[in-house]
Amino acid sequence: MATMTERARPARRPSASLVVWTSIVLFAVLFAVLTYQLSAAQPPPPRPVVLRKVVKRRVITTVVPSPGRNSVSSSGAVTAEAGAPAYAPVTTGAS
Amino acid sequence: MAEHDTVFDAMGSHVRLLIGEPGPGMDPAPAAAEQAREFVAEFDATLSRFKPESELSALNSDPRERVPASELMRTAVKAGLEAAQRSGGLVDPTLVGEIESVGYVTSRAGMPGAPLGAALAEAPPRHPAGPHPAAAWRRFEVDDEAGTISRPTGVRFDTGGTGKGLAADLIAAPLRGYSRFIVDCGGDIRIGGSDALVNPYEVFVEHPLTAERAFVIKLGSGAVATSGLNVRIWRDESGRYSHHLLDPATGEPAWTGLIGATALGDTAVEAETFAKAALLSGPEAGRQVLAERGGLLIHDSGRIETVGPLAAKPLIRVPDLAASE
Repeated sequence: MATMTERARPARRPSASLVVWTSIVLFAVLFAVLTYQLSAAQPPPPRPVVLRKVVKRRVITTVVPSPGRNSVSSSGAVTAEAGAPAYAPVTTGAS
Repeated sequence: MAEHDTVFDAMGSHVRLLIGEPGPGMDPAPAAAEQAREFVAEFDATLSRFKPESELSALNSDPRERVPASELMRTAVKAGLEAAQRSGGLVDPTLVGEIESVGYVTSRAGMPGAPLGAALAEAPPRHPAGPHPAAAWRRFEVDDEAGTISRPTGVRFDTGGTGKGLAADLIAAPLRGYSRFIVDCGGDIRIGGSDALVNPYEVFVEHPLTAERAFVIKLGSGAVATSGLNVRIWRDESGRYSHHLLDPATGEPAWTGLIGATALGDTAVEAETFAKAALLSGPEAGRQVLAERGGLLIHDSGRIETVGPLAAKPLIRVPDLAASE
């Protein structure tokens, strides 16, 4: 039986110019697609910024001196003291 | 820095404004005070139950169930309803017939009151007040879109329980840009301004028996209000003592074991509601009313009890007036 030996055909290599042009075209197409996607995409919504105003209410209580030593005179007028506020005292009471 | 200090009479009481430096573009303090004075005049003319020409009087006598109402009228009714809601019906704005029945028909501004000590001696046994079983205030509806107030015909409304507090809050609203301010509407006080946070105001609490300043609270923001039996107290023709704080359950003046209550709050309406609710609740439940925000209970004996945040300071000593008597 005669045997036949096939000789491997030499692979055809694409021409250099074809490779270069194909690469350029592919790059251009891909670049155009990505550019379009970027331009068409909506910008992400801004992240909500929560501003919290923290107000600390400080309640400080002190005891008014006894009637004999406080700043109220017998007529009810208020005697100004050094360091005292420039205004007459504010009073809360039933009205 | 000096503050503009204005005092005038309105709403059957005094109104005092202390206003600091204005923020950029804001009116000078005297102009702001004048605007506040004009607003209070409008407030009083609209909401006084003692003025037949007021919008409140017109609402109370209107035969329709749904009545057109101004924004101020609707705001006042909403404040009254909120106070009733938050107090479980103790601060009831619909007790007009009851308060007239005990003799409070016309304004008592400027009228000398009966001595509280004598009234306490003759007062009936103490017990906490309770809500009115019918709770007529629940049947009020305010429709801001339509600009109307609905209620069963004949049910009258009294803004007196929250009126001064609401006035203080509404006056304070445009003052927020000032460095510091106090709005005092008959002892219902609203405080604000960034400088007040650093240098708080001193607010003295008047003792209902002695009229002396028995306590001082330094407050940089928020509100404080006092309710007491020492004013608007009178003796009727039968010789019986009456006052203006009614027990909604009975329609009679409340004698609960407390003669005064001072409450702190975020707003003056809130503080006023807490103060009234605490006084009407009596000593036991009154402590619970004031527990969160803080306040003072003044017992029939004159003893001052600090409650909540005010009692949390370990160095506080409250003068025991009862012990010194």
